[in-house]
Amino acid sequence: MNYAVVWDNWRFLAEGLSLTLQTAVLVIVGGSILGISIGLVHTAHLPGLKQLAVVYIELIRGTPLLVVLFLVYFGFSFLAGHRLSAYQAAVGGFVVFIGAYIAEDFRSGVHSIPRGQIEAGVAAGLSRVQVLRLIVVPLALRRMTPALFGQFVRLLKFSSVASVIGVTELTGATLLVNAREFRPIELLSALAVTYFVLCVGLSLIGRRLNERFKGRI
Amino acid sequence: MSTPLYYHFDWEVLWRFRHELLAAYLTTLALSAAGLGGALVLGVPIGVLATGRRRWPRAIAAVYVEAARDVPLLIHMYFWYLGLSMLRLPSFLCAVLALSMYCGAFIAEVVRSGLQSVPVGQYDAGVALGMKPARVFRLITLPQAMAFVAPSLASVFSQLIKDSSLSSVISVAELTFTAGAIEGATFRTFEAYIGITAFYLMTVTLVTRSAIAVFGGRAYSADLT
Repeated sequence: MNYAVVWDNWRFLAEGLSLTLQTAVLVIVGGSILGISIGLVHTAHLPGLKQLAVVYIELIRGTPLLVVLFLVYFGFSFLAGHRLSAYQAAVGGFVVFIGAYIAEDFRSGVHSIPRGQIEAGVAAGLSRVQVLRLIVVPLALRRMTPALFGQFVRLLKFSSVASVIGVTELTGATLLVNAREFRPIELLSALAVTYFVLCVGLSLIGRRLNERFKGRI
Repeated sequence: MSTPLYYHFDWEVLWRFRHELLAAYLTTLALSAAGLGGALVLGVPIGVLATGRRRWPRAIAAVYVEAARDVPLLIHMYFWYLGLSMLRLPSFLCAVLALSMYCGAFIAEVVRSGLQSVPVGQYDAGVALGMKPARVFRLITLPQAMAFVAPSLASVFSQLIKDSSLSSVISVAELTFTAGAIEGATFRTFEAYIGITAFYLMTVTLVTRSAIAVFGGRAYSADLT
């Protein structure tokens, strides 16, 4: 065991870490926007669009992440005649992927709202849009917080898969260092600990947020 | 940006590679089944330990669950394949070990929450009838817990099938690996990946349905809460 290999390459590994964090932030924001929009389309009972939302959710949730990533990376250039960089494909693929799961969580969040809440809104004279905006969406968002952060943690772990299409995020950078130094045990254990710390940190934030919502759901 | 290329689908390519695809699908099924078996063998006892009264077993269960599920599956795979490369384990076995360790943590968590959701009165009633604790657990607590968590268990199963695609990275010739090979040989990206997606979708749907049927079928406890 000689962890000097980690210190000797710390600058390169730190760049990988920062790319992982950047990817995670982009995908968390993008995926939440996409997922909640799709979830809203599903909830709002817009004819035609609802079926489209269901197809998207079910199709993506039945497809492995790696396949989604390959389809975006290799497939996009055929459709658009414009090649995406590996990083763009990874961010795009992750957003499309995690968006479906977030949409599904939003859907079940909406489902779990007691009917009385919505009926109370209608009885108070709110319009359909107002009921959606003032009651359904805020309650659904608070109720889905644990699930949402579960998705974020999953996504953080899944971001390692970007290394497969050649993104030098944390995992990619570590594998490159390993290809030169061949110290797999030290490098992989350091990598595992880093992901562990990041994941635990992210779930702690989620738990905090969830406690703040207690009694207001 | 250049003008869009009109992509002509050629689904015949899937037929041309039918033998490879079938072999790959069988590998994916074997991988998933072995991974699932390993995950259950690991996860169920650890989930049970996590609900116990003694502190040490509970702590061990908690450490395993947190450590195994907060590390990406890809790194589990590389750990067995690269980290322990001196053991020269076959890549299929590496993938099975990685899937078992990783998904075992999720199963342990599901089993724990299921056991904790069974009302204590159920256990007391069993004991009051003169049953031994182990018998109560086997006949009363566990079936009800499994029925409660059937949907979550089904989702762990289907997650495992999809996650098995990552073993292509350590060169297990399963579906995703084979799609990559077909893509490399023919440049038929869409056909290859959409083709295997159909396999995954079909399998995931089947497994989810049957897991709910098998475990949820015993949901006679539904009105007991």
